[in-house]
This record gives sequence, C-alpha cells and structure tokens, in this order.
Amino acid sequence: MKTTFQRLQAIVAKDYKLDADAITADASLEFLGIDSLGVAELLFNIEDEFGVTLPVEPVDSLATVGDVARFIDTLIAAQPAPSAGAALVSQLGPVPLA
Amino acid sequence: MRRVAVTGIGVLSPLGNGCDEVFNAACNGRSAVARLTGKAADRLKAPLAAVVSFDAAEHFDPAKARMLDRVSQFAVVAARGAMADAALDLKAVDLNRAGVFLGTGMGGSASMDDGYQTLYGEGSDRIKPLLILMGMHNAPAAWIGIEHGFRGPNLTYSTACSSSAVAIGEAWLRVASGSLDMALAGGSEAPLSLGSLKAWEAMHTLAAVDASDPSASCKPFSADRSGMVLGEGAAVLVLEPWDTARARGARIHGEILGYGLVTDASHIAKPSVEGQAAALRAALASAKLDPSQIDSINAHGTGTQANDAAETMAIKQVFGARASRIPVSATKAMHGHLLGAAGALECVLSLLALQHNTALPTRHLRSSDPVCDLDYVPNAARAGAAGHTMLSSSFAFGGTNAVLVLGRAAEQ
Repeated sequence: MKTTFQRLQAIVAKDYKLDADAITADASLEFLGIDSLGVAELLFNIEDEFGVTLPVEPVDSLATVGDVARFIDTLIAAQPAPSAGAALVSQLGPVPLA
Repeated sequence: MRRVAVTGIGVLSPLGNGCDEVFNAACNGRSAVARLTGKAADRLKAPLAAVVSFDAAEHFDPAKARMLDRVSQFAVVAARGAMADAALDLKAVDLNRAGVFLGTGMGGSASMDDGYQTLYGEGSDRIKPLLILMGMHNAPAAWIGIEHGFRGPNLTYSTACSSSAVAIGEAWLRVASGSLDMALAGGSEAPLSLGSLKAWEAMHTLAAVDASDPSASCKPFSADRSGMVLGEGAAVLVLEPWDTARARGARIHGEILGYGLVTDASHIAKPSVEGQAAALRAALASAKLDPSQIDSINAHGTGTQANDAAETMAIKQVFGARASRIPVSATKAMHGHLLGAAGALECVLSLLALQHNTALPTRHLRSSDPVCDLDYVPNAARAGAAGHTMLSSSFAFGGTNAVLVLGRAAEQ
C-alpha cells in the first residue's frame, strides 16, 4: 500500500507535470511552482484523493511537500471528529489570500 | 491633447496570429467560420463558430495555465505580442504611468460554465478553489499588468460588443491628455462554452448554417443575412505619445485620432439609428474632422437584420450623399463576432487596411437589400481604397456605441 507521501507525490507530479524524483519531502512548494493559490488547489485535489474534508477556515504553514503529507495524515486521523480539523487549522493560521 | 501612436500590435484571432497572417487572411477573404463538432455541437441548432488555433502549453507552464481561463490566456499572449512588437525599453518607462485597458463582454464564462456544470449538472459541491479568480472579468487585464509590471490604472470595460473599442478609446484619452505615458489597450473574449452558445442561441441572434457552405453563414448587409456567428480571440495595442514614439525610433502602425462614445439610453438590445449616428458624429468631433475627411469605415456589421439596416441609416445620416461613395467593410463575415474583443480586432484590421491602403472585403454579400444600399466592398478586397483616415464602429447591447478614428501613420 502506498504511503500518504507517495500518493501526494503522484498528485503533484501529475498536476504540475513534474518529475516525481524532484518531489522530495523536503522540497519547497514554492520551489516547485506551487504558490498560495496552488496550495489551495492542491488541497482541493487532496480532498478527492484521500476522501478527507478540509475545514472551512483557511490553511497555512505548509512550506514543503512533507508538511502537506503530515497535514493529510492529521486530517485522516481527525476525520471522525468534525471539529478536529478546525481546531488544527486555528493553530496553523490563515492562507495569505486577499 | 497629445498625438497618440500605435507602436505595438498583438493579435490572436480565428484568422490567424500576428499582423501579417491576420491581414493576409482578411485581404484574401478567407472565412474562419466553421461548423462546430463534438458533443456540445449536438445541442446547438446552428453549430457554428470562428475558433482560434491555440495551445496553452506553448505559452504557459502547467501551474500557470491552470489558473488562467482561456480569455486570460488569450489576453496575456496578445499583450506579449504587442510588447514584443513595440520593442520598448521598459527601464525608460515610469511604470506608475503605464496602464492596462481591456475589454471583455463575457470574462471567464467558460470557467463559470464548468463550475455550474459541477454544481447543478453533477449535483456536486466540489467547486474548484480558483474559480473566482478564473471567472472574474478583470482577470485578463490583471494578468497583463502583473506580467509587465504596469502599476498605473488597470481597468476592465464590459460594455458587451463595444467593450474593447471603449477600452482603446479610454486608453487613448489618458495617453492623449498626458495622464499616462503608455498603455496596453484592447480586448479578449472566449465565449464558446456550451452555456454561452446556448444563451446566444436563445436570443435568436445567431446565424443559421449555410447548407452549401457553412463558412459563409455570416452575411453582413446581404438580403439573406440571418445573424451573427460567435468568434473568440484577443487583440492588444501599445499606445504611446507620438513624440515619444518618434524620438525612440519606434515603428508606428498608425495613429488614434479620436473616439466617440454615445449611449442610446433607449432599448437594452435594439440598435438605435440616432445613437449610432451620434457616436459617429462624436468621433468626428473628437478628431476635429469633417465627414468629408473620412475615407473608409470598418462597420459593426454583425449580419443581423436589425443592426445592418440601422447602421446603414446611421452612416447615411452622418455622411449624406457621400455615404454611398465610402467603402464600408464588415469583416465579421470572416472572423465572427468576438463580442468584447471585436472592437480591438477590428481596430487592428483597420490600422492594417490603412497601412496597405486596401479596403477589406465584406464576404458572403450575394443579394442586395434595399435597406442596405452602401458600398460594402462586396466579396473582394479593393486596393487603393482604404485611404488615410478610417472609422471603426462598435455598437453594443446595452446601447453603448463606440467609434474610433484611425489614421495611416505614413501620412501623419
């Protein structure tokens, strides 16, 4: 069974037409061409791929691919409790969108 | 008021990309109107359109391409073309005094259509997170401003079919008045989503398919005209003060001499002879020209019964007995109606017609209509007939009538 990181790696490689080898856990999202808007779109695709539901509140502090993988794992773990995601995000702060 | 030169042109159109390709196609009377194919076409009574041959991957990296609706992709590529053509040294430009003026009638309508399909068609709540940024009308202008770092006014005009004529006119006013040092001005439209095509179809403004030759379905000023055909594309101009352009040795495509803007304030969709005539007169007054000084006209000429008859009457009101001796071209027969980008594409075609002193043809004009009795340059281009000074007319639903006055550069 593929790990969260491997599944995430496949999404990023497909959406951004990148070589999977370049998508390491330490790779900066910005370096890969995924800015704050790209993160919003990536999270949307993650909801479909992982069957998780993002909280309504904005998500921030995701700097690397590894950060996103950990965030997904947290969402999966928190999935049964509807308010858990919101609690998590309130710690992360807002996405810098207008 | 300062003189204003057009020093750069970028164009993506059903007739081709770039000035040479577009002018040659128009001059040769090549129609880009074609029968639409595919699943969506089965839902249309008259599956016709004039489509741009365009591959976003040639112009944008995947991350960027996914953020831009087709209308923004067209606009950005046309603006790049205009900037490259102008060969400006942006280090010499105060970018706080450089503006973007863009017209679009329908904005990112294809993205919105996709969103509605998800929401209503599929009954899903999975609306994509970038939908607002893709669908908003000012996205095309904003992306142009971001790419070139223009920090002056970034304005979007949405006055239906006159949007980009208004954008060019308003940009001209700013540069001519001295409030800006340069402007990128034009329009972009990508209205060929099923939702948009069906909405236009429902208005009963679209042409029936010409069974013998679908490419001849749009027939402006012809007695057998049955409506317009939608087209897509973008055209963007670089406008600079004439003296600045001359001082830097820029190639000048032509001059914007004036701009008339008059609103019908009567009916939301029905063309008004009085409104159109008033806009033509306002344009002449703006350029300080007498009707006798206009050599040719690029008509709004949509191919609808109502517009073409009204426009003919308006031209006759303004030009009197001389009206029948002025070449009047309706190029929409070839490139379709680009709605919010139509004025910009036709401004480009008019500047090129002046450069080559060739009046462009009104194709598919095969049967004369007693209420359309001017010289429409039927079916074949006419060398030596565009002259030195030309009007380009754009009349719109909502009643916003815009007319640009254009001059041939070599003669100025």
